[in-house]
Amino acid sequence: MVKKEDIDEFIKKIPPAPEVLKKTIALLNVGDLQKAAIVAEEDLALKSYLKDIVNKPIYGFKNEVNEISQIFGILGVSQSQQTVYNYMINLLSPSKWLLFKLNKKSFHDLQANLSIKWSIILQHLNIDDKNITASISLLPSAIIVAEALFNKYIDDVNLLRTTKALDYNTILYRISNFTLFDICEKIATKWEMDKLISEIIQASSGLNPSDDEELNKLAKWMHLLLFYELSQQMFVDAGLNDFIDFQIEFVGDIYEEFATIMDIS
Amino acid sequence: MKAVVKNNVGLFTPQGFLDANNNSAFLSIDDIEATLKLKVDMILVSMKKVIFFNRNGLDVFIKLFTRVRKTSSTIVGFCDYNKKQYNSIKQFYKNEINFSLFKNIEIAYLFSSNFADKEKKILIYSDDKHQRSAMAIELHNNGHYPVMTQTLEEFDDKRLNIDAYDFIIDNTYLGEMGNMIASKVSGNAIIYTVISYLDADINDTFHIQYHNNSLNIGFRLFIFDAYKVISMNVHALNFFTKLAGAAAEYNANIAFVGLSFDKTPEVFKENLEDAGILFYDQMDDILENKKLLKELGASSAANIKNKRSINKATVTELPRFIDATVATIEMMTNSKAIKEAAQVHNIVIEEKEGKIASSIGYYGDLDGMVILVFPTQIAKKACELLIGEETDDMELILDTLAELVNIVGGKIKTLLSNDDINVNITLPRTYQEIDSLLEVVQDKKGVQVDLSFSDNKFLFFLTR
Repeated sequence: MVKKEDIDEFIKKIPPAPEVLKKTIALLNVGDLQKAAIVAEEDLALKSYLKDIVNKPIYGFKNEVNEISQIFGILGVSQSQQTVYNYMINLLSPSKWLLFKLNKKSFHDLQANLSIKWSIILQHLNIDDKNITASISLLPSAIIVAEALFNKYIDDVNLLRTTKALDYNTILYRISNFTLFDICEKIATKWEMDKLISEIIQASSGLNPSDDEELNKLAKWMHLLLFYELSQQMFVDAGLNDFIDFQIEFVGDIYEEFATIMDIS
Repeated sequence: MKAVVKNNVGLFTPQGFLDANNNSAFLSIDDIEATLKLKVDMILVSMKKVIFFNRNGLDVFIKLFTRVRKTSSTIVGFCDYNKKQYNSIKQFYKNEINFSLFKNIEIAYLFSSNFADKEKKILIYSDDKHQRSAMAIELHNNGHYPVMTQTLEEFDDKRLNIDAYDFIIDNTYLGEMGNMIASKVSGNAIIYTVISYLDADINDTFHIQYHNNSLNIGFRLFIFDAYKVISMNVHALNFFTKLAGAAAEYNANIAFVGLSFDKTPEVFKENLEDAGILFYDQMDDILENKKLLKELGASSAANIKNKRSINKATVTELPRFIDATVATIEMMTNSKAIKEAAQVHNIVIEEKEGKIASSIGYYGDLDGMVILVFPTQIAKKACELLIGEETDDMELILDTLAELVNIVGGKIKTLLSNDDINVNITLPRTYQEIDSLLEVVQDKKGVQVDLSFSDNKFLFFLTR
């Protein structure tokens, strides 16, 4: 089963954030979309990713968007920053998924779905904060971490789970005292993401509430959004529905509001 | 999605939202068939982690349930719901409910005929009088003490007395139930409950494989609780005669308790006695008579006529058995396990105090039994991953040790299947006292392997 060395090795292997991305984010941070776009153009993989993701149907653009300046202009500062962070997280994803039945496209779909729906939620809550907008980008990194740590132990996990319904987060915690979200936090720290982002992600596990009530409220929305997405057929088929434990009591008081916004009936 | 199997109940736990967009994703016929192969009494879908569902979301489950019921007697349904969810499910399906609804999984276990925990006092309420009666009958047949309430007022009044009941059942609905003969374990005896008219159907309702496995893993006394049997015909007589013959090969005893011969020919009794079957008026005549119990059951393990020894086929596969055990213990403890010594002899346990044991049988292309003996503290450590916290609750530790040995059994099955050797595994058995284990295996020759991890020792014993 997963050993401490596996965790240390994973953390050690997290690459530093590329300079181009750091510069792009710094420029987005000060609201200079034009200069940010010029810098971002230097990274062809980033450009390709941005084009791929914003042209997904969920973004709702009638015409294909090709230029980064155009993309940043349409998305605005907060969502542009969120999308660049999505790209950074995407850099950690494996070329071949073994534990979860995902691929590049389905992982991008998950990122896009979470990002757009998170923006709808923040709009509903009247929150306009670029770090809070960007925080959703870090959430799928928990899936990448689970994939990286457990893919060597698929048979063991399957055997264990025929006896007890343990999710990956619980198994990891009981074995190492680390949660998937602790490791996400380490990614955020290494990539110099705002501390607020890590705090929301930690609280969104539903197991590690923040002292800040406002943050906890956001965490509830994020937790429920995650399970809304992980209940979609594509992600259930990918084996993601039970990758962490859904804390149903944690989100009980916001469910009706969530159902209204997401038009669930 | 895979089921978690515990107490003979296969449980699926979807999370989040169940609607038309995902209803076929959570549960497939392959998932169901894989679970049925484990000989479960029930297949249930837990609603504990479901925050939203609509009828479209449940329809696929219902279709699969119907399919299961067409080919097996496995009980199917939902559990772990709240009152609102219960009312919604009943509203969706109104008069078409042929599946069961159990308020929680613990209540479901009570209706599983092979659930070991018996003799519970249970308060029941349903606004449907047929349901009230059906629940009371099922629970009574399973060895519990149901208390039926006729009105909601009476139920609300009685439930205030929390200490008077082990379980309180409401918001529960029984659909089509299983028809297998209930069995329970009492000490070293297995008690089967038979009711009504005994005829040729007994060949279908008696779980012969369970019985044979029980013989193989050392049970020597089988009691038929026949208080509620009205009569039996010649087909049932033949069945019991054959069963007695097979039991004799293991020096096992079969007894009937409470069987009346008012409507059954007396000559049947003579035939059954000739086959070696014993008759008692009351269950306590056996269970409360320690000397008789020992004569009939515990001590007989040492006198097996059909004493089987370890054979070449088993020895050839020994490394796989050890690998499965070592891999499981390593997985559960994250410590490296080391094989210290392996020898063929009768089991030797130097220090019996402070140790617990568990065994699991396997049968099919190969047959035999794996026994693990742990110092209690080490067993606790090995079970930490499953329990999630430190505990001194011995019942919980033994229960979890059984789960651990079940994982070992699963691993053995997988490793052997890689070599096209197909085996099934029995339910695990645990021993709080080493003497109880020795009563079953002390005369059996097998391979004993001493293993250690993190300087702690445990014992592996493989026998037939």
